Amino acid sequence: MKLRILLADDHEIVRRGLCALLQKHEGWEVCGEACDGREAVEMAKQLKPDVVIVDIGMPNLNGLDTTRQLLQHDPHFKIIVLTITDSDQVIREALDAGARGFVLKSDAARDLVSAVEALQSKRMFFTPRVNDLVLAGFLDKGHAISRNEPPNLPTLTVREREVTQLLAEGKSSKEVASLLNLSTKTVETHRSNIMRKLSLHSIRDLVVYAIKNNIIQIQMPPQMQRPTETTVA
Amino acid sequence: MAVRILLVDDHPIVRQGLRTLLEGRSGWEVVGEAADGLEALDKIESLQPDVVVLDVTMPRMNGLEACRLIQQRQQVSGLEVLFVTQHDSPQMMREALDAGARGYVVKSNAARDLLEAVEAVSQHRMFTALARSAQVSG
Repeated sequence: MKLRILLADDHEIVRRGLCALLQKHEGWEVCGEACDGREAVEMAKQLKPDVVIVDIGMPNLNGLDTTRQLLQHDPHFKIIVLTITDSDQVIREALDAGARGFVLKSDAARDLVSAVEALQSKRMFFTPRVNDLVLAGFLDKGHAISRNEPPNLPTLTVREREVTQLLAEGKSSKEVASLLNLSTKTVETHRSNIMRKLSLHSIRDLVVYAIKNNIIQIQMPPQMQRPTETTVA
Repeated sequence: MAVRILLVDDHPIVRQGLRTLLEGRSGWEVVGEAADGLEALDKIESLQPDVVVLDVTMPRMNGLEACRLIQQRQQVSGLEVLFVTQHDSPQMMREALDAGARGYVVKSNAARDLLEAVEAVSQHRMFTALARSAQVSG
């Protein structure tokens, strides 16, 4: 029986690349593709894949919250998180959310097959840097945090985190309500609670908060990144 | 019409995805790949593509710098640059066009826009499409 893999990434180009990579492997099948976390959760419930590969930076529901929701639904899901960054905070959140694999997108062509093979054999897979953190005792039980409780947002509920992401993405309360099947009034209540709990005073504050806590990700233009070495002939 | 394409992106997975899209078109050939702007400049010289599909954010040399150098050096007559990037920004698009690109599409809509974009730029027509506005200009 083929190993069934669900892909979740908001870029179709990336999903095509991942499909092409994974389907070369005999015995593996990409059983579905989702373009955001919300769709990924629904598809996983229906398709019951063996492995779910989740991009961290997706609209509507990011990869970390997707991981939490999937594992809340069924703790047996095996999840690999794909990310463009291996910052300590992201690594910690992915591990605490319950991911069993952590692969950098830049290294996906090299590492993803090994990651899926590891999860298929009931092992975990992390990029070398994450392995170092694990060996350094990062997952010491003394510091363990509940899978359902994001370490940097102890006061927000799962629903409040969802609303935070959608508002930070620029959606109105009405649009958020439509996406989450809630009334606008309920969304407004969540919004007030979020702002109060986090001591925020404006949507701009909320956006900054969401970026700092990896609820949404932004792409920096090349001029704002570290200078790269260039050679002009 | 035969089109020779060089893919330039620092993520092999993205290059693979672009390749699967482009190689479906009869007569189009992905002649090579590069992982940054410097490697792209080398490969342009050796592979003589018609179109360079170029990412913006890359190590060693980003796409904007590479595009400027491509225009300066004129290594291949008639070579056109098409940016395929995450930056869904009118400002970035303007910079790309000022650097000499003929086209600009956003990765989130690449599956929808890429083929039309490559076709247009290979015929020296401009093609730009941002995700945030539904407008496509070509």
